[in-house]
Amino acid sequence: MSEPFEPKILAFLCNWCAYAGADLAGVSRLQYPPAIRVIRVMCSGRVDPLYIVNGLKSGFDSVFVSG
Amino acid sequence: MHVVEYLLDLSGIGRNRMQLRWVSSAEGQLFADYVTQFSDLTRELGPFDLDQFKLPLAAVEQTLTSPRIRWLMGMSRQLTERENVYHEKLNEEEYTRLLHQAIEEEYEKALVLEAIKESPQLVREISGRIGLPKPRVSFWLSHLKNSGQAEIKGYDETTPKFVALAA
Amino acid sequence: MDKFNEGLAKRKAIYKLYPQAIPSGYAIDAEKCRLLGDGKKCEVCAKLCPSDAIDFEQKEQLLNLEVGSVILATGFKTFDPRQFEAYAYASQPNVITSMEFERLLSAGGPTAGHVERPSDLALREEIVKAEKGLKKLDRQLKQLEKKHGKPTAEVVEQFKAGAEDEDYKSWASLAEKFAASDGKLAALKEKEAASHAPRKIAWLQCVGSRDINRCDNAYCSGVCCMYAIKEAVIAREHAKDGLETAIFFMDMRTYGKEFDQYYNRAKESGVRFIRCRVHTIDPVAGSDNLKIRYATEDGRAETEEFDMVVLSVGLESPPGAAELAEKLGIDLDHYRFARTASFAPVNTSVPGIYACGALQGPKDIPYSVMEASAAAGAAGSRLAGARHTLVKEKTFPEERDISAEPARIGVFVCNCGVNIGGVVRVPEVAEYAKTLPNVTYVQENLFSCSQDALEQLVEVIKEQNLNRVVVSACSPRTHEPLFQETLRNSSLNKYLFEQANIRDQCSWVHSSDPDAATEKAKDLVRMAVSRASLIEPLPVPSAPVTPAALVVGGGVAGMVCGLNLAQQGFKVHIVEEKEHLGGHALKLKKTWKGEGVPEFVSKLVDDVTGHDNIEVHLNAKVKEASGFIGNFKTAITLNGGGDVREVEHGVTVLATGAHSIKPDEYLYGKNDRVFRWHELDKAWESDQVKNAGSAVFIQCVGSREPERPHCSKICCTFSVQKAVELKKRNPDIDVYILYRDMRTYGEREDLYKEARALGVIFIRYDLENKPVVRETEGGTLEVTVMDHVLQRPITLKPDFITLATAIYTRGIEELAQIFKVSISQDNFFLEAHMKLRPVDFATDGIFVCGMAHYPKPIEESIAQAEAAAARAATILAQKYVEIEPIVSVVDQDLCIGCGLCETSCPFGAIRLEKIPGKGYRAENISAVCKGCGSCAAACPQKAIDMQHFRDRQIFAAIQAGGARG
Repeated sequence: MSEPFEPKILAFLCNWCAYAGADLAGVSRLQYPPAIRVIRVMCSGRVDPLYIVNGLKSGFDSVFVSG
Repeated sequence: MHVVEYLLDLSGIGRNRMQLRWVSSAEGQLFADYVTQFSDLTRELGPFDLDQFKLPLAAVEQTLTSPRIRWLMGMSRQLTERENVYHEKLNEEEYTRLLHQAIEEEYEKALVLEAIKESPQLVREISGRIGLPKPRVSFWLSHLKNSGQAEIKGYDETTPKFVALAA
Repeated sequence: MDKFNEGLAKRKAIYKLYPQAIPSGYAIDAEKCRLLGDGKKCEVCAKLCPSDAIDFEQKEQLLNLEVGSVILATGFKTFDPRQFEAYAYASQPNVITSMEFERLLSAGGPTAGHVERPSDLALREEIVKAEKGLKKLDRQLKQLEKKHGKPTAEVVEQFKAGAEDEDYKSWASLAEKFAASDGKLAALKEKEAASHAPRKIAWLQCVGSRDINRCDNAYCSGVCCMYAIKEAVIAREHAKDGLETAIFFMDMRTYGKEFDQYYNRAKESGVRFIRCRVHTIDPVAGSDNLKIRYATEDGRAETEEFDMVVLSVGLESPPGAAELAEKLGIDLDHYRFARTASFAPVNTSVPGIYACGALQGPKDIPYSVMEASAAAGAAGSRLAGARHTLVKEKTFPEERDISAEPARIGVFVCNCGVNIGGVVRVPEVAEYAKTLPNVTYVQENLFSCSQDALEQLVEVIKEQNLNRVVVSACSPRTHEPLFQETLRNSSLNKYLFEQANIRDQCSWVHSSDPDAATEKAKDLVRMAVSRASLIEPLPVPSAPVTPAALVVGGGVAGMVCGLNLAQQGFKVHIVEEKEHLGGHALKLKKTWKGEGVPEFVSKLVDDVTGHDNIEVHLNAKVKEASGFIGNFKTAITLNGGGDVREVEHGVTVLATGAHSIKPDEYLYGKNDRVFRWHELDKAWESDQVKNAGSAVFIQCVGSREPERPHCSKICCTFSVQKAVELKKRNPDIDVYILYRDMRTYGEREDLYKEARALGVIFIRYDLENKPVVRETEGGTLEVTVMDHVLQRPITLKPDFITLATAIYTRGIEELAQIFKVSISQDNFFLEAHMKLRPVDFATDGIFVCGMAHYPKPIEESIAQAEAAAARAATILAQKYVEIEPIVSVVDQDLCIGCGLCETSCPFGAIRLEKIPGKGYRAENISAVCKGCGSCAAACPQKAIDMQHFRDRQIFAAIQAGGARG
């Protein structure tokens, strides 16, 4: 590979917990790698195992679920 | 999620491609840390090669849609914490063993079915593609044939070729 | 100086009070502003502000408001420890207050949450300053060298040799100055290299509390023990490398809900607790460390060195309280806190003026929040007659039917000033959005949420005939409701909206990588558009509210709550297990402030039974309940189980109280001179008590033990109050109180002080060395206890013993099951949030008050009951409740009735219903559903989907996000 590999990560975040945590990280200007693409769900319980497979099938390199 | 991890390992994709972490609304720092760690880990794993894992991934998907697995997942608490109608209760280990066995079977079956989706294949060819011993392939083919999911289509001399039937 | 950060950091002349401030606006510090403060020319900010929001002419204004009630909530000020010379706060940088430490621990604070010593912070600041000065000197020297064409060293040499050139004199002295500064900087840097994060921190309790020698605050501030433990635990967690922490205290007052358990965990995790009073903090020569000198309980003098000392400062009446009180005519007590009575805990001495929070006595967050609700309720019920008179009802145009239209998506990309535009290349993202399928209109905004932009949004939606809107801006958690309202204003259903978060989760967190941030923003927009194409309008159903309340429990809390609601015009059902109203308050004589309880309770019972809106069900129990906020239906069994009555109500209040245990220790039940709580009151006039020469109280009987780790909170005050009464009636009686920590929190400390002044003897004991009670052969009682001060066991021969037995709940599990509410580990009802929602349950429309929530004195029960009534009234005053339509939907043709969804639902919002001809099928109860989607994920048939988060909508977003552009 000529250029360094930049991963693309699918993230499912619970609206009440991790999504709010991610917003807080923003408000606090905490820096992290720009790899994640976030989908907001009302609860991490909504994340069907199939979503994870679908993420990999769609071209993501990994999947992060956080509630 | 345990099921997904188990399947990802089984299929050779690896459970590292998925991560579940608890972050509360007050833990911005923790969230940033987790994302940083997971980004590093994914970078180490390298790009996910869709072509290489096409068959296994399709089989994983099919396994996860199978009513048997979904039902077992949904019943985990019912089976381990309460009794069934025969007053039997499974302990954690028994349940896990049962679940793993079911996952392995469903996954093998799905893999075989995926392998014959595009064109009729010989047992030998299938076994070579998916790395499953020939007797297992034959076992699942006869199972699929009996349940109307596959049929014999053409022969290579006397050896039958199998193909999947549209659902 | 940044006041919010306790002066530990600096702020600019234009500032926001703190990052989460509401309203989230900036202000100009008039003193520091070049224009307003110094009268110099500037106005740079006005030129730079893209929204023209700077107005130098703004002045303070006097407003005249006409109101029906006034609520005072001006809070407290922390004690200023500068006046204590012995604690060296003014002279030692590393002696700080707990408030300052709080800022050091905060992720948004001056050190981003890393605990550092102020001496090291100052050192670093000094280095920066010295470096700046040195650079300046260096520049000046270089200029001289250039001008004269010779090196500085030569000039210095000449001067040393005795040259007397006037021109070069200043040059040489400049060079000397440079050398001196350079040396100083090197020394500072050496010192910095040797500095380290603190390894040992001490907390000193009761600084400015429980102290009449050095200040006038005899009361206990009530919150410092708990916050000191919290600070020590968090500091240790953050430091990760075994930070040593020690808390020097007199009594550990962790009397709140689950506080004692927290204290125990802190002890186990390694926080040290040292019982003593510190008399001096001395500097340690040659370092910035501090030496603490203290006396142990048994009188030994000890010293210990620390890197940093935190003074746990107390809470005081805020500045201006006296002036405010005078203007309003309200009474203050002798500590300058607003005076309130136990039976009307938020009423000041002037009708219509209410006080809540620390203004009327030191207190913690949950109790302040309770009082706040109570005050709001009291103010509101006073105005109940005027309810809805000044309200302008909001109306929206009728919704357009878009079902037949193909998706026409409008994308609005926001710059958010420079917040997004400064990192993400917004024009590029907007240009990109135009290429996406179904997008018919794209616009770039400076601030999408500004009033003019919103008005324009309404116009654009109409002009362009848009039927979906995507805003790429900040977080939907903060702004989605605003944009949704705008959609409603333009005849679109509010669920036809989608927001891409390219600020909080993009530009702000990738500010150093504009390329990647722009790519990510494009991906997020693509995902949002692809999801938006599939989103559907959802009707927002509403259900009428039954304007009635069900109150379970007819004690003081239940009656106060019920009466309050009845007075506001709502129908109230009070369900009481016993044959009479009143509960445990019937056994009380006086509050700790001396007010008579029986008079209050009998009037309350009369008011309740006499009120037209109240129906009292005695001998009654709740059998089963169903329904949801605004629409509950509960079956009550009457007369011990015979009859069943069904009641419809909009809210439920659980006020079932608590009981005290009957212990099987200390000869209770075996000797008739061993009392429990109010059995003493019953025997008050008996010869046994009246003529007694000696009395013993034993505290913490069954509380704060492994089996029941919670503190019962009210026992210390009760026993001290009774001891004082005994002493006042008969000064010759010897009264002993055997205690573990004396927890007379707040102004109750006065009572403790009075007891000691009257000669009541307090003897502390440990859990490992509990007192031993036995009956001698002669029939007298004998109590043996280890005295910590004398260091030897002593034996008392009291005429009677009173046990402060633990408070616990009985039978609340059944009610919790019926109403689907939670119970805490120590078996009290568990509120939605321990600090911020102290009377709400997580289940909407159900509230808790009184001892069933946690043991508490009568004034706190009343405040909580009033708070519960206030919270309940916010629901009952509405005609309809809107039901959130983001719920699960069941496809009954796919459903096989397996019931996995029912077991997976944490809220009881999905259940199996018998459908004729089909067997069982799942059915959603949308008003109870929280929309989590667990059932959809659990369904083996994929027969359940979530409104607004449908599988196909999420898959669309996944697929759009995965594509590589």
